[in-house]
Order: sequence, then structure tokens, then C-alpha cells
Amino acid sequence: MEKKYFKSLEELTIDFQAENSNRPVGDKQSLLEMQKEVKSSDASRRDFLKLFGFTVASAAIVSSCQQPVRKAIPFLIQPENIIPGIANYYASSFFDGIDYCSILVKVRDGRPIKIEGNKLSSVTSGGTNARTQASVLGLYDNARYRNPKSSGSDTSWEDVDNHIASKLSSIKSKGGKVVVVSPTIISPSTQAAINEFLTAYPGSTHIQYDTLSSSAILKANEKTFGKAFIPSYQFDKAELIVSINADFLGTWLSPIEYSKQFMKNRRLTEGQRKMSRLISFEGGVSLTGSNADKRIQIRPSEEKLVIANLYNELKKLAGQTGFDVAAASVDVKELATELWSKKGNSLVVSGNDDTDAQLMVNGINQLLENYGSSIITDVHLNIRKGIDDQMDALVVEMNAGKVDGIILYDVNPAYDYPQKDQFINGLKKVGLSISTSGLADESAILATYICPDNHYLESWNDSEIKTGFYSLTQPAIRPIFTTRQAQVSLLKWAGKNVDFRQYVQNYWDSILFAKSTGYLTATAFWNEKLHDGIFESGEKVNLPQAFVYTAVDQALSNVKSSTKTDSIELSLYVNTSVGTGKHANNPWLQELPDPVSKVTWDNYLAVSPALAEQLGLEDEQLVKVNNLITIPVVLQPGQEKNTVSIALGYGRENAGIPANGVGQNAFVLMNLSGGEKRYWLNDISIEKVAGEFKIARTQTHHSMEGRAIIRETTLEEYLTDPSSGNEAHKEILPHLTSLYEQRKVDGLNWAMSIDLNACTGCNACVVACSAENNVPVVGKDQVLMRRDMHWIRIDRYYSGDVNNPEFLRQPVMCQHCDNAPCENVCPVAATTHSNEGLNQMAYNRCIGTRYCNNNCPYKVRRFNYFDFTGADTFQGNKKDEVEMTTDLRRLVLNPDVTIRAKGVIEKCSMCVQRIQEKKLVAKSEERQLFDGEIMPACGQACPTEAIVFGNLNDEHSKVAINFVNERTYHLLEELHTLPSVGYLTKVKNTIG
Amino acid sequence: MIPFLSITKKLKSLIISTFLVIIMISGLQLKAQTPEAEKNFQACKVCHNISGPKLIGPSLSGILERRDKAWIYKFVRNSNEVIQSGDAYAMKLFEENNKIPMPPHNLTDAQIDDIIAYINNGGKVAAEYANAAATEKVSAEDQMAAEQTAQDQKLADMKRDANRNFGTPFYITIAILLLVLVDLFVTKIIKAKFVHTVIILISLFIIGEITYKEAAALGRQQFYQPDQPIWFSHKVHAGQNQINCLYCHSGAEESRYAGIPANNVCLNCHSQVRQGKITGTVEIDKIYKAVETGKPVEWIKVHNLPDHVFFSHAQHVKAGKLDCVQCHGDLKNVDVVMQVENLSMGWCIECHRKTEVQFADNKYFEAYKDLHEKVKNGEVKKVTSEMIGGTDCMKCHY
Repeated sequence: MEKKYFKSLEELTIDFQAENSNRPVGDKQSLLEMQKEVKSSDASRRDFLKLFGFTVASAAIVSSCQQPVRKAIPFLIQPENIIPGIANYYASSFFDGIDYCSILVKVRDGRPIKIEGNKLSSVTSGGTNARTQASVLGLYDNARYRNPKSSGSDTSWEDVDNHIASKLSSIKSKGGKVVVVSPTIISPSTQAAINEFLTAYPGSTHIQYDTLSSSAILKANEKTFGKAFIPSYQFDKAELIVSINADFLGTWLSPIEYSKQFMKNRRLTEGQRKMSRLISFEGGVSLTGSNADKRIQIRPSEEKLVIANLYNELKKLAGQTGFDVAAASVDVKELATELWSKKGNSLVVSGNDDTDAQLMVNGINQLLENYGSSIITDVHLNIRKGIDDQMDALVVEMNAGKVDGIILYDVNPAYDYPQKDQFINGLKKVGLSISTSGLADESAILATYICPDNHYLESWNDSEIKTGFYSLTQPAIRPIFTTRQAQVSLLKWAGKNVDFRQYVQNYWDSILFAKSTGYLTATAFWNEKLHDGIFESGEKVNLPQAFVYTAVDQALSNVKSSTKTDSIELSLYVNTSVGTGKHANNPWLQELPDPVSKVTWDNYLAVSPALAEQLGLEDEQLVKVNNLITIPVVLQPGQEKNTVSIALGYGRENAGIPANGVGQNAFVLMNLSGGEKRYWLNDISIEKVAGEFKIARTQTHHSMEGRAIIRETTLEEYLTDPSSGNEAHKEILPHLTSLYEQRKVDGLNWAMSIDLNACTGCNACVVACSAENNVPVVGKDQVLMRRDMHWIRIDRYYSGDVNNPEFLRQPVMCQHCDNAPCENVCPVAATTHSNEGLNQMAYNRCIGTRYCNNNCPYKVRRFNYFDFTGADTFQGNKKDEVEMTTDLRRLVLNPDVTIRAKGVIEKCSMCVQRIQEKKLVAKSEERQLFDGEIMPACGQACPTEAIVFGNLNDEHSKVAINFVNERTYHLLEELHTLPSVGYLTKVKNTIG
Repeated sequence: MIPFLSITKKLKSLIISTFLVIIMISGLQLKAQTPEAEKNFQACKVCHNISGPKLIGPSLSGILERRDKAWIYKFVRNSNEVIQSGDAYAMKLFEENNKIPMPPHNLTDAQIDDIIAYINNGGKVAAEYANAAATEKVSAEDQMAAEQTAQDQKLADMKRDANRNFGTPFYITIAILLLVLVDLFVTKIIKAKFVHTVIILISLFIIGEITYKEAAALGRQQFYQPDQPIWFSHKVHAGQNQINCLYCHSGAEESRYAGIPANNVCLNCHSQVRQGKITGTVEIDKIYKAVETGKPVEWIKVHNLPDHVFFSHAQHVKAGKLDCVQCHGDLKNVDVVMQVENLSMGWCIECHRKTEVQFADNKYFEAYKDLHEKVKNGEVKKVTSEMIGGTDCMKCHY
């Protein structure tokens, strides 16, 4: 029998599985627990021998000091323009059926390792979002299909093609029906490929199935303009923006583009003194709502009524006869007057999934004369073109046995179709089922044939995101596995062997070249556009008719007041990280804290504190919603009292590690009524279930403990006194004295300025930082122990009423203090100050005392409790719950940044590798660095340009100009740490 | 440039051939296999072996047994003409050798005879000429050899010094220490305690010193000189043929890595140069083999830095304008590369402390206003790398 060794009674008696969240970190129990983690609790004689043997062996290895033989293998034939050690950038486009972004792919020695925004694109203008940044890790997903599969077993392309071709031809001969189901296709070439397939198999159809649908907007526009389209919104043209549950900064339509536009006239730097105003109506807390100047809580069922009332009031203001509309719970008269005064300079948007509601929104914008100014109707946004009821009809047909073949192109209805069981049943009745999914998913395993698509970074493609805004996708790496582009597969089955690059180029040569000016040959045009990644032709679409009010007024008269007012409503939303679940297997996104709740690795039922009190719910308690899913409760201040929310995109079952089993699939709660997907439910039941569920949050604190960490003011006050809200700065300055002489930095003095007014909290910077700096993913258990490793975090604070607070956000990374408290306490001088004002961290000197961590007032230092990236020589140090250390995953590591082993501290370096790189370029070219040449990963990823980086000693640099701005303050500046990071106060526009 | 011939050798053959031309003009009958033949044969050597395997064209030994002289004259001067005239043998040759025509060579009958004699003599110059030429070569080659030996000796000395086995003194010291300890507590032969103390302290110091030296050398690879898959000589390429380092290591000016040339870079010269003076065709054939099989040559990396050190060649070569020799030693006189410096951090820092930067010349440094002021005032005589942060941690470790 094995003996049990223990050091104290506590160690025996304490149940370590019991909850530990109430204990402060660093107490005896958690220390014991740490010990327990490291050593086996039942150390036996055998363990002792093992350890002894290991020690002897390692000592022998070390003492024999045999250096491994390292090989240097050159290219056989050196490709032109590729220099080992120098990154190449290729312009491309990211589109996953939901988000679009024009990008540059950084390729180091043949491996794509980082995504950056393409500044040439006037759609995304160099901005990115979290999912775009994280998409490079998708290329190295362990769950990618490596071969085509036939009935679950690996096979060759030749085999699969033969089988499929024979089945398709037999379907064709009997006049059967093949359906291609895809997300919205924005690529003209892909559309052409699908069309060729459809022509080859008459009777087959193509259905666009969008997980996030804008069906209602399409239908409303069809009624008012005679064409189903999504217009191009111009948030920078609006002085007053009203968003009725449209999260345009986070997930609604084209958030990168809208964030850029929105911030364009909210910035108060460079002499700008005007600011737009955002009013948001919503039930849950979205990114947009939490950034609003005024946030009004309404239940999802009230949205339509609020829109109706607003439209009605505006009608009255326009001198038309109003309807008799039931009053909404909030009075919108004032808002209507405010909007009316900003006629032509305003914008009303809604994410409501009801056609009537969208019709009235159209009516409002028409009355406000916004069409032509803030809404462009002759340039159409081409995403989310899917009409929901087409998919519903397909499922019915499948179940009736009327579909002979189905091709699932980049869709996963077995997971995200609201009535997925019906879909799965229907799929069994389809003779030929093919999935082109490159990643393991719930639908692919049900299909007979899996013909894995390339990752987009391995593919050729093009896209037309908005009318006339074209862009190209080019491969940045040869396909890693035996995969093939889905378009090539479709064309092959249609009997055509094509090189898809040639196919895309043919389209550009024949159609787009004609729309260009200034190019002599099609080749010159193609080459330049391939380099730029984009082509903007300036073409427009003509609408068949001018605005027609009839349907709008009809919609208004249909509005009924919501009957029940005390029932609980559920709002289903997608967050900025995992989104619709397509990227659920991306550990970077799973560990990304939600911008509102700071929750990682799970979805949850967001409940307002008031409702929780009423129902007797507690944080982290398990509840059953509508008898369908069991999910933990998270108390979310700001949630409308009778509205609860759940994020979609979780609860994947067959996506691989780490996605499997993370969170709950909320698509099953969704309703299909009136042919449109309903993203909210009325009258839901919440039933307490025994047990609780640990939620991993990166910020449990909500308060600033009385310190002026975030300083804010209102526009009104700012206009009279620019330093309003920042009075403390002036007060503190004279008190900052020191016994020591202040060191002066000659030459380059790096500093960063963050505009709190521009930061939306979208998290793009956090993922960009992880990608650039090889920041490890630690997994849920470690986050629970507050061991998350992000070098940059976005703190979220609430202020005011706990049930209806205001939200404030602040990105915090190492402040690179000139009087750094961490530097003084390091016993081995592993952290020192550079002559360029940076707080340096030498990992290989660090012995892991964590004194620096303890002494840092900003808590930005991170300790490697384990080896998370496979950097250690000793295998036993490794902790990899999310499979980030497989050879495939490790291909994403940036070779310019050391990966840290167990036992060392790490932190933001202000992307010193980028600083060094650009300095070398300037030195080699014998010129000075110019302002903005060096940009850390966070600043580069930011869609709103909230982060400015530069040389403080250059008085013309943007950062130096910001540092003398009256709004600038430093975090905890009263401590006289003299940070190199400055924050610009947050200004809310309350003038209305 | 004619490879595998030193400059001096070339000069000498030039002088001799000029001399010979004068003799020729004076109407004297030319004797066979003169040094001129050796010079002229260089052009043939590119495509033909005398004996041994076929290169681009066939091997030439026994050429007279196959063809008569008249045919050879015609074929050497203009092979195309012979082929087009419908000569069966010439056409067969053309077919056999992948239809690569032999370029025309403007040689006289006498010169061709001379080359044939040279070939029949197995690629040697006639004894009388050889002796004359050899004596002239001696002094220069001797000097070089002496230099080489000195260099080798120096390296070997350094190697020996560094790898000196401290084992024996280490064990002796331990033994003395033990003896003294035993005496101190057990035998008590020496009465004066201070003797014990002094000996203990001295031996502890020696043990410590040796341990430190040994420990510090752990993981370093000074004098590492592995056998490479191809016997490549820097002495021949960079020394004798004066090929610029950057011709092959082109990355050194742009990238972190100096880079090992790809096979196509080798082939820039070696598509012509098929035979080496020292190793014949054996080593050069490996380049072709790599291209044929598609498997690149797996060189063994000599200069290794730990992963947490970021060393950029571009920074030192392009921006710092350092000479390769400063870190890699004088490779112009070394056949197989050896790591001559220990590449320790101390060695790096030492250089960063001493090395002057192009402070006044490079506009990049204009940002350092205070330092420029100090240079102007004469407060600072020379600006070293350290003064602009060259010894900061995060210049190399990030």
C-alpha cells in the first residue's frame, strides 16, 4: 500500500477540490495548493527513485556538456525577394462569412505569423479586430482535416473525386437536385465557380445561409427601395447616432469600418473640438452600449415599440399626421426633437430582426434626410445577404427526401441551425452529402465525403465587400496538408480542371480591368492590385425606385404594445471573441476576456443584480434555461432588469481541443418565426439547478478603490476647460520631488499615449499582442488562479448605479516607469532601465523571486508558473491544456521574440523587437527615424487609432504633442513612478 | 578569373608566355608541352577532363588514337562548322553530349599540338619548363606557407590553452586540502594552526577558480571545427580567388542571418568550374548531386548563439561597418571554418564598450542632441556603442 506523506494536518484535511475563490491569493492554502500541483501528493519510493535517477541523468548530461550539432540548411535555389530572417508582407483579405478585413500577412521564413491591417483599403483602413488578428492561429489548428475523407476514413483526392463525380452524374441523369449551402459569398470568382457548378448540374440550387442574419434589413429595403440590399453606413457623417440594439462597434455588419468612422469625429486631439453623440437602446450590455454617451435599457420586445414611437414622433415633427401608437416604457419625445434638430446629420440603426422594425428605421432615416449623407444607398454592403427562410425551406425539403445531394461549403448547420436536429435528420435522407470544411465540425462528421478546403491563408480568392470595393486574397504559404480549395473542388466536379489563381485573374482581367483607369495592360493592373490587395473602382448601383413610405406606415400601424411586462426575456448575442463559434477552436479567442464581463473560456447567463435578487440567484450558480441548457449565472451590472443574455458560439461538440465542451450551445434556444431568425425570446423559464460552476474572470474588481485611475469629463466641461476631470494632474505635479537627480534620456525616449476617448475595448490589441510576443495561453484553470498572461489588458470599470452604471475602459500594459518600483527590488538586476526609457526584462537573468511583480503598482508583470509554450528543456514543467505546444501550433511563434520558460517574469516590452528592427533600417539608410515609423502590435491592430507611440524627445512627434495636452495624465502618478505611458481623459458628450 | 590559381602563379605564367611568344616570333621551332599549353588548357578544363569521368564534353586522354590532327584543328577552331558539314563523327559527338556545341577557340595549329602533348603527358608541363617555373614559385609560396603555419600554430596554441585540462591540479588541490584537514583534526603533525588556515584558503581559492573557469566554458564552443558535408575551403574562395564574403553571405547586410549560400549561388561559378585543385571533382560534384536529388546540403552550423540572444549581422556589417574578420577570424587563410572567439556575453560587451560608432557621419544619430553637444565641447572624445545604449539588456535580449 502506498504511504501518504504530509507536512501538516491542514494538508491532510483540506479538500483542495473545494472552492477557492473566496480566499485571497497568497494565503497558506493557496500556497499549499501550489505545492500540491507541483509534486505528486503520494510520493512513493518509486517516485523517489525516479527523481533520483533523473537528477543523476541530468547531472551527467550537463557535465558531459556535449553541444548538440545544429544544422544550417540553405535553400536549394534561393527564391527572389526572400531573405532568410527578413519578413515579407503579402496583401490579402480575411473573410469568414461574418467579418471582412483587408490585411497584410507577415510571413517569416515561409510561415505566416501575424496579420496586420491594410492601410490602403478605404473600408477597413488598416484596422483589425480580434478575430482577424487571431485567424493566423487557425492556419495551425490541430483540428484541421489533413486528407479528404470518405465515410470517415482517409482517402485520396482522386478517389473522392471519382466517387463524387459518379454520384453526381447519376443524380443528374435522373434529374435530381443538388443544393450548395454556403455563407454569404462576397467573392465574384467564387460565385462564378458556384454558378458553373450549378450550370453543370441543372436543377441544383445555391442557398446562402448566414449564422448572423440581416434578413430583416434586406427585406425592409426591398419594400422601401425595391431591392434587397444593405446600404453603406457612414458613421463619421453623423453628429447624433441612435443605435437600437445594433452593436456596430463589436459585431454588427462591418464593425472595423464603423469603429474607424465613429471615432473619426469623436477624437479631441489635433485641434478638433467637435464630437458626435451616441445614444444606445439595449437590454444586454454590448460593446456599443457600453461606449455610448447615453445608454437606455429596454427589453428586446420593446425595441419595435420604441422605434415605432420614435418614427411617430418624427412624423409629427415633420408635420405629418401621426398614428396612435401605444406608449413605450421610455419616452422618446426628447430624442425625436434632438434628432430633428440634427436632420441630415444623424443616423439611426437597429439590429432588430423584425422586418417591420427595420422598415420603420428606414422611415426614420428618410424623415431625417439621412439617406445620401450618413447612409449611402448606391454603394451596397455585400455581407449577410442570406434570407433565413430559404434555409428553413431546404430543411423541410431534405426531410421530405426531395434533395439528392448537398454540398456544405463553409457552413455548419448541424451546430448553428436553430433546429439542428431537424437538419441532422434531413441530412440522413440526402443521398450525397459533401462537406468542404477544412476544420473539424459537427456537420462535416455527418457528411459522407469531407473534401477539406484550404485555410484562407493558403488560398486564392477575391471579394467585393461593398459595391466597387474589390480585394484579393493570395496564399501566404503552400497548403500544409493535402487540402484543396473548395472552389477548385466545385469546378472539378463540374468537369473543369482549373488553376484557381488563373481563374481569379481571368475575372480581374476580363471584368475589373475594364473598370480601371491608368493601366496599359491587364497584367500591369493585376500585378499592382495583387501588391496593393485592393481595387476600388468607384462604381455605383442604381436603385429601381425612390423611397416608398407605404410599407413603412403599414408597419407602424401593425405595431402592438407588448402585453407582458414582467416576463423575463432572453437576448442571444455574439461576442467579439469567439463570435458565431466558427473560431471556437482558437485558444487566443477563448482566453480573450469579454470586454464587458471579463469572462474567459465560457458563456454564461448574464443577469442583472436586481433580477438575481428577485429570483434568489447567485453568481456562478447553475440554472436551467427553458429546460434546454444548463448554464452558470454571471451577475452583470447594466443588464436591463428583466432581460438576461447568453452568448452564442459556445458549446461546440466536434471542433477539437480546446473548443469541445467549452460553454453551452445557445443556438438551440433560438426561435424561427415569420421566416426570420429571432435573436431574442420572450417569457423564458429560469430554473435553479443544484451546483455551481466556476467562471474564469480576469478582472473581478469593479471599483477603483477611490483612486483616480480613470479620469473623465463631459464635452460641455471640456469645452470650457480642457483640463477638466484632470485637475489632479496639476495638483500632483508640484509634489513630485525626489532625493535623486532625475535621469535625462538623450536621443530616443519611447513613450505611448492612449486616448481613452477613442478606445472602444474591442480587444484587437490583446490578440495582436499575443501573436506578436508569443504570449502563452494558459487555460481556464490557470485563469481561475489569476495566472492569465496577457501583456495588455483592458480594465473595465463601472460607475454609478449598480443596475444601470456607466462603463469605462482602460487598456493597461507595462507603464515603463522612469522611476520603476520593479527595478529597485530585483535581486539579480534582471529588470533594468534602458537608455531609451524602456523598462527592460532579461528573461534569462530572472530567477523568479517575483519581487518585481509584488512591487509593481500596476500589476502588469506576468509570471510563468509553468512552461506553456514548450520552451523548457524539462518536459515535466510543461502545462498545455489547450494543445498550444504541438509542432503545428508552434509554427505561429514569432522567431524574433524569445519564448519564456517556467519560472520567469515577463511583461510588455513595447514591442522592442519592432523598435530594434526599424532603428536598424534607419541606421542602414543613414537617416533619422520618422514619427509613426515604429508601431507596437497593439497600436497597429487598433481600429480606432487610440494608441500613439513615438519619441518623446522629438517635440513634433504625435506622442510628445499628446503629452503636453491638458487631458494627459499618468496612471497612479501620485506615486512618482513617472510612467512612459500617458492617458488622455475620457470625454462623454452629454450635450443633447 | 581563372580559379584555383594564385595571382602570383598567373603573373608568372603570363611572363613566361610572353617570353615564349617572343621566341616563337623569332622563328624557333616550338617544343612540346610548354607552360603555355597549361594556360591554354584552362579553357578546355572547364568542360573536359584529361582522364576520369566525363564532364560536359568527353575526356581527352588518347585523343590522337581516336581522331587525326587535321580534324582536331578544325573542330577546336569551329566545331559548329564541322557538325554542319555533315561529319558523321562530329554529329555523333554532338548528339552524345546533349547537343551542347563546343565554343570556338582561336588557337594556332602549334598551340593545339602543344595542348595535345600536354594531354598526352597526363596534364604535366615538360620537365625542363616545370623546373624553371617551380623555382620561381618557391619563394612566394614558401612565404605564404610560413604565414599559414604561424596562423595554425597560433590557433592551436589558443585551442590548447583554452582546453587545458585543469583536472590534475584540481585533484591535487583537493588531495592537499583533505590532507590538511586530516592533519588539523586527526594527526596534528603541524603544530602551527595558521599554516592549516593558509593552505585551506589557498586550495579553496584554486578549487573555486578552476570550477568557475570550467563552469563558464559550459555551453561555449570556442575552437569548434566540425567536419562539413562538403570540404569547402574559405582559403581557396575568399583567399586565393578573392571572392567578397558578401557575394555568398549576402544576408549579412540585410538580415539577422549572414546566410549560407543556396546551391544556385555556388553554381554561378561552379557551372564552369568543375574541378578543384585540391579535391578534384569529388567535392564539387556534391553540389550537382544536391541539385539533382533536390536535397539541399546540410551544413553544420559553427557559430551558435543561445536562442535568447538576438544578434543581427545587418546591424554589425551594414550599420556598424565592421569587418567579418573581427568575429570570424581570418578565414582567408583557413580551409575549414573554426569558431575562434568564445562568443560569450563578456566578449560582446567588451567590444560594445570599445567600439566607436559612426556618430558624426550617420544622420540617424542626429537625435542624440546632448551627446552631439558633448562631442562639440570636447567632453566626449569618441562615441562608443555603450554610450548610445549598446550595453542595455534589451538591445540583444527580447
